Amino acid sequence: MKKSALVLMTLAALAGTSSLALAQASDGVLTVATIGEPPTLDVMQTPTDIVLTIDQHIFETLYTYDAEWKSVPLLAAGMPELSEDGLTYTIALRQGVKFHDGSDFDAKDVTASLKRWMAINSKGKQVAEVVESLTEDGDHTVVFKLKSRYAPLLATLSQASVILPSEKIADTLTEFVGTGPYALKERKPDQYTQLVRFDGYNSPEGVPSNYAGKREAIAKEIRFVPVPDANTRVEGLISGQFDYADSLPVSAFERVEGSGNAKPVIFKDAGWASMNMNMKEGLLVKKELRQAVQAALNPNDMMLAAFSDERFFSVDASIFPQGSFWHTEAGIARYGEGDPEAAAKLLKDAGYDGTPLRLMTSRQYEFHYKIGEVAKAYLEAAGFKVDLQVVDWATLTTRRADSTQWDIFITHSNFPGDPTTINTITDAYPGWYVSDQKTKAVAAYMDATTDEAKKAAWDGIQTVIYDDAPLYKVGNFNAVSGLANGVSGYEPTYWPHFWNVSPKK
Amino acid sequence: MNTMAAVSMPFASGLRRLLGNRAMLCGAIILVIVVLAAILAPWVAPYAPNKLSIVNKLKPPSMINLFGTDEFGRDIFSRAIFAGRISLLVSLGVVAISTVLGVILGVAAGYFRSLDAPISRLLDAMMSFPDILLAIALVAALGPSLTTVILALGITYAPRLGRIVRGSTLVLRELPYIEAAVAMGLPTWRILTRHVLLNLASPILVQSTFVFASAMLAEASLSFLGVGVSTDMPTWGTMLASGREYMNNAPWLMVFPGLAIVFSVLSLQLLGDGLRDLVDPRLAKES
Amino acid sequence: MARIAQALLRRLGGMAIVLALVVTVVFIIVRVTPGDPAAVMLGSDATPEDIAQLRTRMGLDAPLIMQYGQFVMGILQGDLGQSIFLNQPVTTALAARAEPTFFLTLFSILIAVTIALPVGILSAVKRGTIFDQIVVTLTMVAASVPSFWLGLMLIQIFAVGQGWFPASGYGGPGTPFLDRLHHLILPAVALGVVNSALITRFTRASMLDVLGDDYVRTARAKGAGEGRVILKHALKNAMIPIITVIGLSVAMLVAGAVVTETVFGLPGIGNLVVSAVLRRDYPVIQGALLVVAAIYVLINFIVDMLYILVDPRVRL
Repeated sequence: MKKSALVLMTLAALAGTSSLALAQASDGVLTVATIGEPPTLDVMQTPTDIVLTIDQHIFETLYTYDAEWKSVPLLAAGMPELSEDGLTYTIALRQGVKFHDGSDFDAKDVTASLKRWMAINSKGKQVAEVVESLTEDGDHTVVFKLKSRYAPLLATLSQASVILPSEKIADTLTEFVGTGPYALKERKPDQYTQLVRFDGYNSPEGVPSNYAGKREAIAKEIRFVPVPDANTRVEGLISGQFDYADSLPVSAFERVEGSGNAKPVIFKDAGWASMNMNMKEGLLVKKELRQAVQAALNPNDMMLAAFSDERFFSVDASIFPQGSFWHTEAGIARYGEGDPEAAAKLLKDAGYDGTPLRLMTSRQYEFHYKIGEVAKAYLEAAGFKVDLQVVDWATLTTRRADSTQWDIFITHSNFPGDPTTINTITDAYPGWYVSDQKTKAVAAYMDATTDEAKKAAWDGIQTVIYDDAPLYKVGNFNAVSGLANGVSGYEPTYWPHFWNVSPKK
Repeated sequence: MNTMAAVSMPFASGLRRLLGNRAMLCGAIILVIVVLAAILAPWVAPYAPNKLSIVNKLKPPSMINLFGTDEFGRDIFSRAIFAGRISLLVSLGVVAISTVLGVILGVAAGYFRSLDAPISRLLDAMMSFPDILLAIALVAALGPSLTTVILALGITYAPRLGRIVRGSTLVLRELPYIEAAVAMGLPTWRILTRHVLLNLASPILVQSTFVFASAMLAEASLSFLGVGVSTDMPTWGTMLASGREYMNNAPWLMVFPGLAIVFSVLSLQLLGDGLRDLVDPRLAKES
Repeated sequence: MARIAQALLRRLGGMAIVLALVVTVVFIIVRVTPGDPAAVMLGSDATPEDIAQLRTRMGLDAPLIMQYGQFVMGILQGDLGQSIFLNQPVTTALAARAEPTFFLTLFSILIAVTIALPVGILSAVKRGTIFDQIVVTLTMVAASVPSFWLGLMLIQIFAVGQGWFPASGYGGPGTPFLDRLHHLILPAVALGVVNSALITRFTRASMLDVLGDDYVRTARAKGAGEGRVILKHALKNAMIPIITVIGLSVAMLVAGAVVTETVFGLPGIGNLVVSAVLRRDYPVIQGALLVVAAIYVLINFIVDMLYILVDPRVRL
């Protein structure tokens, strides 16, 4: 780790403790404007950002991510004991933890919950393929036995693999009972989801860092209000209606800053935008053409058009951003200025016949659309014929599942705790990235048991990705949200969380 | 948005008639300018509509960029001119489809007694849906694209023409010379094409002008809601939709495409009113 | 009386047929929609297997004819189905959003009528004057403005610029009623002004018609005061067509509300429809289309009946 980052973290930690020391349980309410209504609160079934954001207050996982996106204990008592062969994980559980309905949390709840997770969650299903058995060992220990080594296990146990009381588990959840600092009180679809402080909450110890460390439910109540229109979120924040407004357009930054009622909050490197290519069918089955796409594009212009100015984005070829454990320069190629000549040469070598490139994007996220517009201009400059299809998100998600319909689609992701959980790396994700060198590189990663070995293996994977060109990484973006003046203790995280946050007096 | 058809403005006196025609002339001139600009866009527009220049983004109106630039640094003046092409094309397509559908349904209902009740009920049912709502549902059903927007709006406005045509046909059917033609044993298709359709031309023309105007407003609304046309070329509606985000910092993104819509629709309304004034006011009042 | 009862029955029958057609049209439109609610619900990370599983769970695999049968049976029992996304009955979802739409429509019709009646009458009475010409021109311009664009301009000037009104939203949960109404002023103006153009023109035209009629001339000849002639004789007779137009504009305002609610972030029925389209929430689109169309048919029916009751000249 870099020294400056260490200093910063220590400072942040100090600031965190001092505000904690002052914080007291309050009768206040935090009203949070979210980008939309969650389709369900069943996060195992639907692990989208909005569900994860709300659910993390209600439910907890065995592990969670710290500021470096490493998995650290949450409901687990400590890091797992790993057998010599790397196949057996023995996980001790914290004692004295209670669910919102008053029942005790124990090993039975963990095995029952994780079995449901392995049956219905897409990441859980991948885990299920390598799990030989999951058993209880007494009331406060569970044991995972694996068929083969699986490096991302802890990362997957840190997200959406929430623990519910074993007796509440059903195919369709009807009661949402967890161990988190807040309990669900009422949900009115399209109006609000109301959470109240759980007085019997048993917090993990430690300095708060990202989602890890001590959690204290200070506000008596949190209300998540779906406000799909970004301008409405801005105006509501400024008028004092909301204490926090998620995901604001960068063009509103000055307006929020100048309002005197609220301040904009920047969360650096919230995610990255990418252009995913279809390797199964159509034009881009040819690797040279995919590489030509890479060579043709200018990431800086795309990000500038999409995010207005440099406060809100960074251009970085490494898949993971500066400061992340996984940041690496390994294998980087054809990223930077945009080189139409080099691209044109690749086009010629590949015998490009002028078939239009179907570039699919949506306006659900305005920046997807803007990246598409700029990409089109650069690809055309290199000699591609481009058919830019602007569709709504529903159509995009349907069409991209059909390999005959598209060549490139634009999307974005967060930076996951484990690099191999990036969607594109999975064979089945639209784009269908299948290659021998990828399989080999990923296998090497799965086999790794230490952080150093994992990092070296990840260098290999990134190198392969740049060569195979299943996607074009456009750049990293910062998220802008807004916080009402008078609200204190808020620390920006990818899924915003409101424990340790004091409402307005 | 607005059923202009519901409004009739019988100008009683000759003075009013002249005034109406002056307004009509005004409308015709604006429309000709808009249409010419659209047709001659490549020569009229100072820049290519999709020419990016990220460094020049969001520049206010100036001598270099008459209407300013958008978030990609594209020239709004040039884009507005090219957008007219798509907006006019969509509206023209809508008029064509709704006229064809409306005439078929209207003549069938008005001329053949047995078809009147079922077709009229169907037209009633279609007219019960507010135009935008029906178009949204249809576009959602067919998937947003240039053709589906034209189709959806064409279907949406067909009943308006259908009703007018039915009403006029009912009147025509009872006229002595048509009855005479029937008595003489002229084939039905011949009567319909020779005598009925020809006489329907003026009310159809008037109503089409208003449908043209409504279609233009509706296309803008659909594009604004994000269920409209998606092509390489901008429309005034899509320009407004993407400009909205910058309304606070760069209002020119909103003002100019909006004015383009207002002037085009206005010219059509003026033209339609004048035309209605010229044709038999009694027929026009059927609307 | 018997004639009126007969006419009432005949029109009721006609209305039932139209409603049945409306139901079928709605079902057809909504169910040919491509795009998959399951895919939308699961978000960007979903795999095809997840989506297929959810489709089965949501009953989207049932044959169309069965879905139609269920739909019709449901409507007869006042059940518009269950929202796929919101996980609540469509009727509940619509009811929860009725308030802003109702008041928005009410306010804009009030604004429209308040402007349109006096201006239309005056313009007819003073026909040919500068005032009349200005009115004719202004109504023409107002009818050419897209209401959403007017709304955005109003936001820019009066909300963002002057700060007199909230720029958007309807207040959060627990906002006092008057505060919520404050949120409705700008949208109601945006919608009402555009609509007033239509009613003004109609009022003017009807008044011009009536002012030329014999009995008005007779009243004048008898020496009745000009004000009395206009208000008592002319307006009374011009009112019936004017009421018709007002009735019809209520239905059109509901359509205008779709766009206006989106612009102003009002959680009304229009907003619900737009998000339902994006969420591929078939039952909600069906329900909303159906309810709005039914309201329109009902208003038409009431206007028809008013005609019969009020105007003896109407042919039964």
